[in-house]
Amino acid sequence: MASTSPMLTKFESKSSRAKGIAFHPKRPWILVSLHSSTIQLWDYRMGTLIDRFEEHDGPVRGIDFHKTQPLFVSGGDDYKIKVWSYQTRRCLFTLNGHLDYVRTVFFHHELPWIISSSDDQTIRIWNWQNRSLICTMTGHNHYTMCAQFHPKEDLVVSASLDQSVRVWDISGLRKKHSAPTSMSFEDQMAVSRGGQNQADMFGNTDAVVKFVLEGHDRGVNWVAFHPTLPLIVSAGDDRLVKLWRMSETKAWEVDTCRGHFQNASACLFHPHQDLILSVGEDKTIRVWDLNKRTSVQSFKRENDRFWVIAAHPEINLFAAGHDNGVMVFKLERERPASAVHMNQLFYITKEKHVRSYDFGKNLESPSMLSLKKLGSAWTPPRTLSYNPAERAVLVTSPADNGVYELINLPRDASGTVEPSNTMRGPGSAAVFVARNRFAVFNQANQQIDIKDLSNSTTKTFKPPPGTTDMTYGGPGCLLLVSPTTVYLYDIQQKKQLAELAVAGVKYVVWSTDGLHAALLSKHNVTIVNKSLEQVSTLHETIRIKSATWDDAGVLLYSTLNHIKYTLMNGDNGIVRTLEHTVYLVRVKGRSIYCLDRSAKPKVLTIDPTEYRFKLALVKRHYDEMLNIIKTSSLVGQSIISYLQKKGYPEIALQFVQDPQTRFELSIECGNLDVAVEMAKQLDRPKLWQRLSTEALAHGNHQVVEMTYQKLRNFDKLSFLYLATGDQAKLQRMAKIAEHRGDMTSRFQNALYLGDVENRIDMFQELDQYPLAFLTAKAHGIDEKCQEILEASGLTEEEVTLPSLGKPMQPARAIVPTFKANWPTRSTGTSSFEKALMADGDEIAAPATNGHADEDFLAAEEAPANGLIEEGEDDDAAAGWDLGDDAAPDAEADDFVDVGAESPGRAGSSEADLWTRNSPLAADHAAAGSFDSAMNLLNRQIGAVNFKPLEERFLEIYSASRTFLPANAGMPPLVNFVRRTPGETDPRKYLPLIPRDVESVQSGELAAGKTAMKGNKLEDGISCFKKALHMLMVNAAPSQAQVQEAQQSVQQAAQYVLAMSVELERRKLVGSTTDISSLPEDQRKRALELSAYFTVPAMEPQHQTLALFSAMNFASKNKQMGSALSFANALIERGTNAKFKETARRVKTQAERSPTDAIDVEFDAFNEFDICGASHTPIYAGEASSACPFDGIKYQTKYKGTVCRVCEVCEIGKASSGLRLTV
Amino acid sequence: MDPFSAEGELVNIHTAFTQGQYQAVVNDYTTSDFSSTNTLPVQIIQYRAQCALGQYDEVIGAISDSDARRTPDLAAVRTYARYLQRPREEAPAVQEAERLAESEGDNLSVQLLCGTVFARAGKEEQALQLLSQHQGSLDAVALIVQIHLAQNRTDLALKEAKSARSFAQDALLVNLAESWVGMRQGGEQYQKAFYVFEELAQAPGSTSAVSLVAQAVSEIHLGRIEEAETALGAALELEPDNANALANRLVLDVIAGRDAAEARRKLEAVDKEHEVLADMVAKREAFRAATAKYNPKFEP
Repeated sequence: MASTSPMLTKFESKSSRAKGIAFHPKRPWILVSLHSSTIQLWDYRMGTLIDRFEEHDGPVRGIDFHKTQPLFVSGGDDYKIKVWSYQTRRCLFTLNGHLDYVRTVFFHHELPWIISSSDDQTIRIWNWQNRSLICTMTGHNHYTMCAQFHPKEDLVVSASLDQSVRVWDISGLRKKHSAPTSMSFEDQMAVSRGGQNQADMFGNTDAVVKFVLEGHDRGVNWVAFHPTLPLIVSAGDDRLVKLWRMSETKAWEVDTCRGHFQNASACLFHPHQDLILSVGEDKTIRVWDLNKRTSVQSFKRENDRFWVIAAHPEINLFAAGHDNGVMVFKLERERPASAVHMNQLFYITKEKHVRSYDFGKNLESPSMLSLKKLGSAWTPPRTLSYNPAERAVLVTSPADNGVYELINLPRDASGTVEPSNTMRGPGSAAVFVARNRFAVFNQANQQIDIKDLSNSTTKTFKPPPGTTDMTYGGPGCLLLVSPTTVYLYDIQQKKQLAELAVAGVKYVVWSTDGLHAALLSKHNVTIVNKSLEQVSTLHETIRIKSATWDDAGVLLYSTLNHIKYTLMNGDNGIVRTLEHTVYLVRVKGRSIYCLDRSAKPKVLTIDPTEYRFKLALVKRHYDEMLNIIKTSSLVGQSIISYLQKKGYPEIALQFVQDPQTRFELSIECGNLDVAVEMAKQLDRPKLWQRLSTEALAHGNHQVVEMTYQKLRNFDKLSFLYLATGDQAKLQRMAKIAEHRGDMTSRFQNALYLGDVENRIDMFQELDQYPLAFLTAKAHGIDEKCQEILEASGLTEEEVTLPSLGKPMQPARAIVPTFKANWPTRSTGTSSFEKALMADGDEIAAPATNGHADEDFLAAEEAPANGLIEEGEDDDAAAGWDLGDDAAPDAEADDFVDVGAESPGRAGSSEADLWTRNSPLAADHAAAGSFDSAMNLLNRQIGAVNFKPLEERFLEIYSASRTFLPANAGMPPLVNFVRRTPGETDPRKYLPLIPRDVESVQSGELAAGKTAMKGNKLEDGISCFKKALHMLMVNAAPSQAQVQEAQQSVQQAAQYVLAMSVELERRKLVGSTTDISSLPEDQRKRALELSAYFTVPAMEPQHQTLALFSAMNFASKNKQMGSALSFANALIERGTNAKFKETARRVKTQAERSPTDAIDVEFDAFNEFDICGASHTPIYAGEASSACPFDGIKYQTKYKGTVCRVCEVCEIGKASSGLRLTV
Repeated sequence: MDPFSAEGELVNIHTAFTQGQYQAVVNDYTTSDFSSTNTLPVQIIQYRAQCALGQYDEVIGAISDSDARRTPDLAAVRTYARYLQRPREEAPAVQEAERLAESEGDNLSVQLLCGTVFARAGKEEQALQLLSQHQGSLDAVALIVQIHLAQNRTDLALKEAKSARSFAQDALLVNLAESWVGMRQGGEQYQKAFYVFEELAQAPGSTSAVSLVAQAVSEIHLGRIEEAETALGAALELEPDNANALANRLVLDVIAGRDAAEARRKLEAVDKEHEVLADMVAKREAFRAATAKYNPKFEP
């Protein structure tokens, strides 16, 4: 009897018409060849397209995976057969020979052969190892549509539009090609070449037609061998599927399967069961009983004609290709029906026998009952419900729109027993709800009947509309499942108690204590309590197959390839991987009991430590955790990060040995003692920095003091002493400042101390007499006033004073805060720590008081030169307005805020984070904060003229934002492009900066040098200047890159300088070399400029050019002395042989009278720089000013103007140096 | 049964709309093919698609005053179209939307369309409040997610998307909304978002300029510039005048170090008032204003 039932579709793809399909024998892959010339490789388990292969021209009809090698073969309408490697993802070679469309291609199961069938009426066998044609089989007199090797014997079967099926014997071919191994390579080549000829010349001796099977009235589209029996199945345009049998000597038609009402396109034997599957253009897949030749099942598709079908060689999966893609499906559910009671599992085997299994004894019972008569032959039962009181089972089967059967199990299992006294009825689901009652759900008429054990209805009610399934819902209750919702229904009160929106629930698993249930959907697990309130939910990308509860309330569930666990709070993880799909039924200790797809009970061993530990953590069972930690090797990176993520840094701290991690954790949980200890061990400035911030937040000023000391953070230290009122130490700070010679610091300390005299002295030292006088006067120190007046040679009358207010004195500390910390927030020992402590080893509390500061200060008293440098570094760092100093506090606040903000208020954008995270101008420009970017550049390199940077700023800004179209009608979502796509810590988000150092080097710098070579100096200057601007606002990933960038900056600047010098000369004299007509001062200047052109540090080949031009210019203008020195330099350093030749000639000529006609200001033997503005020499030791960015030197009078080379920075401005890396 | 559910008859047209296949929504479906209860929703979707294609006049013309009076859905569409036609000077449309939101706040079309108008008019609070009345509509969820993201509230957007995931599982809009959030989260989420966009963009049945642009954007964020160029090229081939594609082309040109003037010119030709251009003009002014603080000296 045929039934149209819903398909168990596992995967569907949408594409153009699918003409060929092949399953990978091991991996969950299928190859699909399309009418559109593409070959797709899909992972049907994940539903992802792995790869596409597009080299064929026109439709691809044949496709096959190699059984063992990473190869596949395809054949298409371009007459070509291509062999591909899916590892290297390319076509290895093409087999040419067919003269018309190739219809099918298949690999041989063991020999390196490929068989192909083609519209050129031939079947060909190819050797893919030596890539040759070894046999052409002719005989069909119309298109051959399909040809396949026999899976074991040396046979080939083919189908053709000439209405015949042929069976060929190819044992001759095998003999010829399994040649004796002693043959040399040449012999083999000869044979293989000969073989090919032979086949052509003597007809088909290698392959002979064994049988011609006639019976189809139209062309035959497909033919296939049975995997084990001597059977053949074929499908043709006469809409028939024919079954043939063969013996050694003959072959004959057995029967015909009628049913397709359009051309039958393909057919095959079920690999394991006595079934035939066929597909046709009537849009159906049909399943036939091999023995009775009756239709078993058929599936109809709405719009798509089917073209091809393929079977997985091992597992129960099929794939069919149709007009709009491919579907992977299975014929029957493989989940064995089962039920667990106490220590026993009841389940139904593949043979439809009921068996039981004892978990304790690990013992399988003999089969107790046969259910052969339940439902139809090919549909396995769906569910099993067990009633221990009556020792009865309730079984449902989806056959005939659902039936149930109530059967009593025999007292003792002694062998298969045909059931006696069974009750049955229609119903799509049936479960026991009480000792003597069961519920039957009928989906067709949407009704639930409560029946007693004699199968008479005692109660009837209507489930909520749309209900599709019913399961046990706790005592006296049912769970009713609809596609979007689950309802809890009380049978007694006939009332719905609760509902929960959970989509697509397929199975419900109750915990052993009956308090919780897991609702399993295809991709989701929802845990609910017994009143159907959601506890947690989780999503899996892989299909979820089954689940079972641990006695402690952990749910273990299986996906296609893993066993995983989830706690009630939704924390989950992987327990182990699975090779084959299994259905979990029970977990006990380290054993998981499950049924596999062949319905055999199995026991898998697992390691439950991880989830037990996490469970103990959630339940705060610290003793148990301690026990686990002690007895297992659990402690790894993952558990530490888990603890950290879950907000238990103080517990994680207990496990860690690595000082760095310990430091991080202790900072996170506010355990300053440990942090101090670790920071001491590691002693890195970064750590001290963080510790100081953290300690400051705690108000633990003693630790703060120590960290500032470590960091040599004098200013902050002074301020801290001021804040804590520690006068004595403040005085020492003043002394230290004096030793360091740091005036600013001294002044500050003097201010803090209210030490007027010291200040006056300082002003005097610095020759700031007016200020000194003013200070003295303001504080009424008259003798000082007199002294100052005397020193500056003025009288009091000559000085006009502004009106003076009352002098201010710094406030005095009343409470000696510095003596001890205020009570700080208790970092608290958690109960876990207590548990740990109680257990034994005490952590020695480090003394937080008096951190050896005496030593430190004493050391400072001694004049320490090295320190000055460090101090300056510090100042420079302090120049960052938005830098590290004040930021951490603000930042910390903000981060807390994010979580607590009231919903709806706009948050800060990622661009704001960039400005917080980086001191680079480029990053600020990307964030659109041009103000701060300019401020940074101004401080770092004294940038003042920003006009040339306009394009660069906007370029960076626009490269960091993309526009993602989202909802129709809404503007696109602006997203921020990050420098490192993998970064997920918001504190490290940084923008992408276009045109990195490398690209500037290979772009603008290279172009500039080319322009130099080509004598296009204007172009060159603009290239180099552009490069300078690009590098000025940029970011480098590493210190090495920063150095490269700096070198590039220097180089570009030197080129710009050189080119401008040369351009000035050309402006003066034009392109002529003869300047005798010019006035003498111009001649002199021209000669000088020509000489200066050789000075800037260019690359040797370019310097050669400069020297060559200077030498020629000089010799033409009778400057033989200069010419000689250029010639010498050229001979020594030149890179061009021809130029050197000329130089030698000039040298001999010049040596005769090495004197200059005009005395020019150029001394080849004296080191000097060229002023970037006036293009005059600046000799070593002469006062000069430099551009803070590119280092070009200038005469002092240009100080304060904009650098002529970079056009951005102010010459001689004090600055901290360009930063290019965070 | 929910007409948008997997079995409902609106699923195809709605999916096409979500995938940005606006032309297909307008051309391939006629209201008469649907059952009478679904005629209105189909019409609304088609009007929205027309708006997305810029055919505002047709939409406004097709809805008469009496239609609008009788059916709040149509009134919402008309208001929406009027607003989108001239977003800068349409205070009356916003007022109309406010009136509709007041009286017909439980109508889904009103929620979606007026919500969009509010969000665009800078009244995000009002938009969110209106949208929060929805009854399990994924369109509303998607809009809420976008508004949260536009306000840089990735946390709230994520929450919204997650809750949608719990009731709608693997629905297309849920995947998209999660991907939008993912594009803000970064890290592995970029790759996940890319998979979603790529699946849409590369399958012949679901491809559209919108999906291709989204794919390209995700690839830019993943640092795969060449691949992004390919996807963007495909998008521009499909719709040479797609403003978003052009805006991203501009970005890509800059990243690749090419001259972006061409892309900018094209974008100006297509949509003079595009946010990107307006933003660039504003930024240029900001730059000039910032330079004014400094007084460079050129001569000693």
